[in-house]
Amino acid sequence: MSVPQLVIEGLHVTVEGKEIVKGLDLTVGGGEIHAIMGPNGTGKSTLASALMGHPKYEVTGGRVTLDGQDLLSMSVDERARAGLFLAMQYPAEVPGVSNANFIRQSLNARAGEGNEIPVLKFHRQLQEKMKKLNIDASFAERYLNEGFSGGEKKRNEILQMSMLEPRIAILDEIDSGLDIDALKIVAEGVNNLKSPQTGFLIITHYQRLLNYIVPDRVHVMMQGRIVKSGGRELAEYLEAHGYDELKAELGIEDESVQAGV
Amino acid sequence: MTEKNVVSASVGRALSHQLQEADWLADWRESAWTSFQTLEKPWLEKTDLKRCQFEVVEKSPSTGSHLEARKLFESVTGSAVLILGNRIEAIRLTEEDKKNGVVLMSLHEASHTHRHLLEKYLGSVVPSSHSKWAALNAAAFQAGVLLYIPRHVEVSSDILIIRSEEEALESAYPRTLVIADTGAKARVAEMQFAKPAATSAAATSDVWEVVAENDARLEIGLIDEILAGPYRFYTRRAKLGKDAEVNWYAASTGDGLAVSDIESLLDGNGSRSNTRVLGTAVGRMHHDLTAKMTHAGRYSESDIVMHGVLRQKANAVFRSCTEIVKGAVEAGSEQHDRMILVDSTARADAIPMLLIDENDVKRCGHAASVGKIDPNQIYYLMSRGISEKLATRMIIWGYFEETILSLPVEEAVREAFVARLEKELD
Ligand SMILES: Nc1ncnc2c1ncn2[C@@H]1O[C@H](COP(=O)(O)OP(=O)(O)OP(=O)(O)O)[C@@H](O)[C@H]1O
Ligand SMILES: [Mg+2]
Repeated sequence: MSVPQLVIEGLHVTVEGKEIVKGLDLTVGGGEIHAIMGPNGTGKSTLASALMGHPKYEVTGGRVTLDGQDLLSMSVDERARAGLFLAMQYPAEVPGVSNANFIRQSLNARAGEGNEIPVLKFHRQLQEKMKKLNIDASFAERYLNEGFSGGEKKRNEILQMSMLEPRIAILDEIDSGLDIDALKIVAEGVNNLKSPQTGFLIITHYQRLLNYIVPDRVHVMMQGRIVKSGGRELAEYLEAHGYDELKAELGIEDESVQAGV
Repeated sequence: MTEKNVVSASVGRALSHQLQEADWLADWRESAWTSFQTLEKPWLEKTDLKRCQFEVVEKSPSTGSHLEARKLFESVTGSAVLILGNRIEAIRLTEEDKKNGVVLMSLHEASHTHRHLLEKYLGSVVPSSHSKWAALNAAAFQAGVLLYIPRHVEVSSDILIIRSEEEALESAYPRTLVIADTGAKARVAEMQFAKPAATSAAATSDVWEVVAENDARLEIGLIDEILAGPYRFYTRRAKLGKDAEVNWYAASTGDGLAVSDIESLLDGNGSRSNTRVLGTAVGRMHHDLTAKMTHAGRYSESDIVMHGVLRQKANAVFRSCTEIVKGAVEAGSEQHDRMILVDSTARADAIPMLLIDENDVKRCGHAASVGKIDPNQIYYLMSRGISEKLATRMIIWGYFEETILSLPVEEAVREAFVARLEKELD
């Protein structure tokens, strides 16, 4: 299979009549790890949701392609089947739908009719991956995210990712609320998937995640766009100096999306 | 098939004679007939009964093949009754139930053999005065079933009553009397099979009368197939003694018109009752359903959980009603109603009611909601590649799962119901 590529050009996103993402360009290729950092409320999750196709987020300008195909004209499920994955900051709870059933149906949807994964093979794989992520075996039959702690939800997102093996994976604050042991496990889950067949876009506030998942590129988002990009040293710089120095350097007073033009 | 409206004053007596019942039951029917005639034509707030005609419709015995019902009867292992149209076709008692003295027989025959039981209990929970349709049933019931569980007998296999209707009105007045004597325990269910018919102004009336004596415990499943045709009235009512427990699991599908009541009379101190309702509605179904708990006993407890899924132009009114009468101290009750409108053309009301005359209650609450499936849930499932259609189905099934699994029936029955539900939700 070819090496995946996600290309975002001049993306504008509006939520409830308010423009949040204001002209964003980014290219993520297979084998690459990109990190997006930035203060609260600068449009990081909005970017992720718009790429996945959440109905509330309206794309008002720009182009996005995945492997050359127009991503924005696809429905949410088509995007997923094309290889896009989003580990959500706040995934929904779905009572009555078991984790295992959900993941199996997701795999089967991608495999297509007639190519369904055999049930036993699926359960073996699932149990294996759950073990690696230190998720108790009982979570297979638990209802999707219902009553899961914050950290359990995050690990469950990574479990889905490692089962689905996406071409482009977007991880939205997969590290928040995790203790250091859980963080290491989650990072390992990501690193296990690292190959030329998968590109990563990792949204985070903390340098500490990037100690375990080493990014090729780091981007800082403010006012709904990328205001600075660099190598992994940019994350270290931000950790040491905070955002204020960067804002002064760039002449930005208010980094929130309301401020940008 | 012949059909005639019987208006003679002695309809109850004539029918009783035809069914070879004991004279006392003929008298009982006759007095029900009198109340039927004197009771006012009912009025319902959410269901228009103007066109509905309350009169006795007589049908000749069914000539249909009733394949599904027969097949199910053959595939269950517990005690079972097979009713085709208005005729009891077969009754089967397991050796164990027989040995334990469980009675499963026709009410008509029981009027001779179990007169003392019937005189004590028949009409004790659903009297003719309850409603015009209850009186109609009392006067005209056919293919009546008696189930009696003796004192302290625990029935180990699920008991099943199968009622099948292949032509309109051929099973218009079914009646079931279930008595769990002191300390008895059983799981019993009824599964109905129906066929679509032309809509008519006729009224049918289905009655379940349940007695749970002190310390008795009953799990009751009701699987109704409410297809277009007549006006269908269902009255399911249980009376609970001290520390008795009755749990109802009522599942219905279809596109017909029905008024259903499920009620527990929590008379005994420490009695408890749960009602779980699962209803799907398609086409132009109109389902007016009330789940009621009447608390008279001290420390009595109840819960009502109702789940509805409505499609197309279906309309449903689901009421949950808890009444705590004066003196029922420390009683507690909770209600949860959730109705999902799959199509924007469907309509639903979830109406919670609390009638509380006692100040000293333990817990009392209700939550009701009507609306679409949470779009965030659909989005989440779709974000992993699942189509919108499948995502919707998965969420709806998830929502029904617990009730389906709780139905007190053998797997063959559950599978038959799941197949029916699958067809309806497709
Ligand atoms: N569904 C929504 N409805 C209304 N406003 C929204 C919605 N989603 C995002 N916003 C608004 O868009 C702006 C950016 O939010 P977003 O969640 O994208 O920020 P973020 O960079 O991910 O922040 P954080 O670091 O706190 O997660 C905020 O002002 C937020 O209130
Ligand atoms: Mg965010």
